[in-house]
Amino acid sequence: MVLWSLVLLAVLMLVPFVIVAMNAVKSPAEYATGGPIKPPHGIDLHGIVDFWQRVDFGGKLLNSVVISGSVAVLAVVVSVLNAYALGIGRVRGRTWILVVFLVANTVPQEALVYPLYYLANQTGLYDTRLGVILVFTIIQGAFGTYLLSSTFVAFPPELLEAARIDGAGKLQTLLRIVVPVSRPTLGMLMVFFFIWTWNEFFLPLVLLISNENQTVTVALGVLQGQRMMDATMTSASALLGVIPAIAFFLVFQRTLTRGITAGAVK
Amino acid sequence: MLYRVLAIVAVLLLAVGGCSSGQGAGQRTLKLWHYEGPDSAMGAAWALAVKQFEAAHPDVKVVLEEKGFEQIRKTAPMVLNSKDAPDVLEYDKGNATSGLLARQGLLTDLTDEVTRRGWDKLVTGESQTTARYDDKGVMGSGRWYGVPNYAEYVSIYYNKDQFAKYGIAVPTTLDQLTAAMDKFVAAGITPLASAGQEYPAQQLMYELALTKASRDWVDRYQRYTGKVDFHDAAWTYGATTFADWVHKGYLSKDSVGAKAEDMGLSFIQGRSPIMVTGSWWFGRLVKDVKDFQWGSVLWPGLTAGSAGNMWVVPKGSKNKDLAYDFIAITMSPPVQDALRDAGGVPLVRNGSASDPKAKEVTDNFGVLSTQDRLAFYPDWPAPGYYDELVSAVQKLTTGTATPSQVLDEIAKPYQENLANVGR
Repeated sequence: MVLWSLVLLAVLMLVPFVIVAMNAVKSPAEYATGGPIKPPHGIDLHGIVDFWQRVDFGGKLLNSVVISGSVAVLAVVVSVLNAYALGIGRVRGRTWILVVFLVANTVPQEALVYPLYYLANQTGLYDTRLGVILVFTIIQGAFGTYLLSSTFVAFPPELLEAARIDGAGKLQTLLRIVVPVSRPTLGMLMVFFFIWTWNEFFLPLVLLISNENQTVTVALGVLQGQRMMDATMTSASALLGVIPAIAFFLVFQRTLTRGITAGAVK
Repeated sequence: MLYRVLAIVAVLLLAVGGCSSGQGAGQRTLKLWHYEGPDSAMGAAWALAVKQFEAAHPDVKVVLEEKGFEQIRKTAPMVLNSKDAPDVLEYDKGNATSGLLARQGLLTDLTDEVTRRGWDKLVTGESQTTARYDDKGVMGSGRWYGVPNYAEYVSIYYNKDQFAKYGIAVPTTLDQLTAAMDKFVAAGITPLASAGQEYPAQQLMYELALTKASRDWVDRYQRYTGKVDFHDAAWTYGATTFADWVHKGYLSKDSVGAKAEDMGLSFIQGRSPIMVTGSWWFGRLVKDVKDFQWGSVLWPGLTAGSAGNMWVVPKGSKNKDLAYDFIAITMSPPVQDALRDAGGVPLVRNGSASDPKAKEVTDNFGVLSTQDRLAFYPDWPAPGYYDELVSAVQKLTTGTATPSQVLDEIAKPYQENLANVGR
């Protein structure tokens, strides 16, 4: 029974992907006569190739990798430092600090857009990848701080004490004890940060205006015209857009499961 | 672990820094943005314009960036207020878009250039309306802030084979159109392709209202020149007739959840023999309709339509002279002819197209333009009005609201906006 409902759920989840993949390999004429649901006669890769060339997809991939990768790493570093102070260092008023972080995280991005735009424009970071990296490092870092702080609170005090007796300073304790022990959790955070940043659309759309700086998700928007859409090419682009995120997920899947179980045992 | 992480950071940051390339010395660039696909009529014509521009200005490099419509729509005010603004860009016409930017002082006043280069002789009559905005950002009078390059209008597209099969004549009046649809319904065919989730349904209701409207009615609604009564004869006729058409089965109730793309497919696949929509579908129909003959015929009376999107020059453009030269090239006969031959409606007509269907479309625009029958679009008068109209007309389609309730619903945001523009 449970198995069947799982299978049903999996099929339901896969249906949209199948439809997208089907339309991605149809020729526009075939789409026009048969509609979106009909399976394709053959494989026509024109949509995918055309889209790749039209938006210089290779360049967008590089941008997305650079931005998501930098954010993933930097945000984890920021989160660890913050959480070390809040979770293990037990800074005074830490509950309130965490609440502030959490509130900052729940503010919708639409509300952040104008202040961010204004700041970026004033500091010359508007339309630079560095600007977006900084913004997302802070946004993701806020969440990471919140999450890590609560796991660090439960960090075994014996380990910390042993380190102190062995003469380790605060920095040494962090680098030699805390970070290695919580490595699975940090790995998981990094993977999540990467995928979340990869899928971000709105802020990159607003902050990265020139084509050479754009990310994959923003490039996909090029195909949505004012009144017309090109269904086969849109499907092709959607397929191209999700493949990297799925590939990344598969590669780091083990890190993910380890991170989740590591959290659960504690 | 730590050193590896730091190494990754260093590499990524280096990549960020390394990619920002330096500008070539001495060479000027023209930064040009538009959001038309490369296969569209405008995309094809403007590609030609870029080539001609580069031939005429060998020392200038054109940096053409193709944008998404959504991106321009969401970010235009921010981009134009920064130093990264392009030199010339395509932008949507109307009070809520170009009018707003003009009022905020983000667009260059083109009036002197327009008269100097004679563009006001090329863009005439109602086509000028969307290019000129007053100091409140209301279109129709005042200074020039844009130069439209093409036109668009709503008309009736019909499946010639189906009409012939049931012995129905081409409808030129509203009565003939309803008579034709009655015959299709009797034969078990839903005659009218529509889509309630996007612009088609609201435009149909507006078209119906326009059959009882006058130029003055349109000006009052679109340009705030007088009082607008949403329960007058025209609006009432539009809403009740639309509901009646759904009731009679001219258009399907299921179309409430359909997108414009679905409407188009339904016509292209021959499921619905009639489609009331804009000339922006023309190129697509030429390309995709394979199995039957089709044609277009003018909507009786006033019809939704206007000059198309325009070239605007941001206040912060660093190469205004080049921008004007580029606009001039897009208005030139070869580019306008290329636009026409690719299935667009040119603003400047030089002779007619060789293809009979393209001739039909451009000639029909000539008729509308000389008879002063262009009535713009229903969603123009207020910002965000498009979504209000979509939801109101959806209720009309499903019958969850009466025509009178629907008119009340669309009257509210309209009147609120009037207060905002100070009328």
